[in-house]
Amino acid sequence: MAHFRLQGSKVLAVDLAGEAVKAKKGSMVAYDGEMTFKKKTGGGEGLRGLVTRRITGEHMAVMEVRGQGTCYFADRAREVNLVALDGEKLFVEASNLLCADEALRTGTTFTGLRGSAQGNGLFTTTVEGTGQAAILSEGTAVVLRVGPQTPLQVDPGAYVAHSGNLTQHFQSGVNFRSFIGEGSGEAFQIRFEGEGLVYVQPYERDTIGGEL
Amino acid sequence: MNGPVIHDAYSLPVNDNVNPYVFSVDLDGQWFLQKGKMIAYYGQIAFQGVGLGHLERLVARSFHSPLHAADWVVAEGRGRMLLADRAFDVNSYDLDDGNLTIRSGNLLAFQPSLSLKQSIVPGFLTLIGTGTFVAASNGPVVFMEPPIRVDPQALVGWADCPSPCHHYDHHYMRGFLGGVRAHTGFGGTSGEEHQFEFTGAGTVLLQSSEMLLEERPVGVKGDTGS
Repeated sequence: MAHFRLQGSKVLAVDLAGEAVKAKKGSMVAYDGEMTFKKKTGGGEGLRGLVTRRITGEHMAVMEVRGQGTCYFADRAREVNLVALDGEKLFVEASNLLCADEALRTGTTFTGLRGSAQGNGLFTTTVEGTGQAAILSEGTAVVLRVGPQTPLQVDPGAYVAHSGNLTQHFQSGVNFRSFIGEGSGEAFQIRFEGEGLVYVQPYERDTIGGEL
Repeated sequence: MNGPVIHDAYSLPVNDNVNPYVFSVDLDGQWFLQKGKMIAYYGQIAFQGVGLGHLERLVARSFHSPLHAADWVVAEGRGRMLLADRAFDVNSYDLDDGNLTIRSGNLLAFQPSLSLKQSIVPGFLTLIGTGTFVAASNGPVVFMEPPIRVDPQALVGWADCPSPCHHYDHHYMRGFLGGVRAHTGFGGTSGEEHQFEFTGAGTVLLQSSEMLLEERPVGVKGDTGS
């Protein structure tokens, strides 16, 4: 199986011995050995997936990298976070997924209001199976565990990814004061309940509601 | 493979950094917070705009910056709260019956035992009292002692220093050409003609970059979304 490791915090090194990985198109920065790069139509699920992604806007510009040696990936000096999946499902935006083992299945799923609050649309990408993946964040991501007694609230702009068995609600503290300008500026949060992990970045993206 | 450190509601640091960019506050009571700097929290925490009914006594005690009131909220409750700002370095500082002046955009949060006032230097805020505050800087903060002249963009703040003032190069000041250059930039400028000068005893805080946190207009209601 392909071996993922970090070379510094912003470069992903993948050791390959004949296997393949799926990587964000154009993210290869260097390689050592023999590699072939093949354009893929997208993020899996065959023709149905292709159509789904076209409709949902969850495009994945993916390439398949196969070979012997070490391949290095990076994207706009963003931080790389390794995720080891053991049968769970990882939810991540297509633009934040840097690389995934070929054994992992990727697909598209509906996220509802949470996605639209992030300004990322209503759909997100899922990665499922057993193997390693690498996700991108602005600044080192913090991994937070959610348990039955400890639900977690996350600012939509700082959310990166989550895995495990989590339900999410869109939580709003909007009241009439928000409309007369005395809002709290933290009026919207995503509340995660259940059991799983949430990846949060120390940076707030612009969201559809402005700086939430 | 050694994976990332996984934190939960109990293992998060108590009033300390999680990593250079994220600070964890163990909240039990109230903290002042600049809008939009909270990235996640565990527990029961409510966020209220400054100037709401039941917070009046708190605001009367520790918030004296009407120009910035629209940018601040009070976090109230119990839990662990994570603060971060655009992946800049964040650090906490303790004041012990002291005073510290800081660029308004760099201040993330402070304990209500401190009192926040507007500095007479535009764009800066002064904290007076005893307590903890959290501030961001682009790159680690460097502590310097006066006498020192610093680049205006690299200045984060200063503590206990009397009389910060402007300093202009002599060449820049002199003659007609200098005046033209000053107003038009024609004839070339080095970009380093103007500094802030500190004298006396105290500490000056610098960041290792001249990129500032984005300046926002202060005192404008409703410009930050909700």
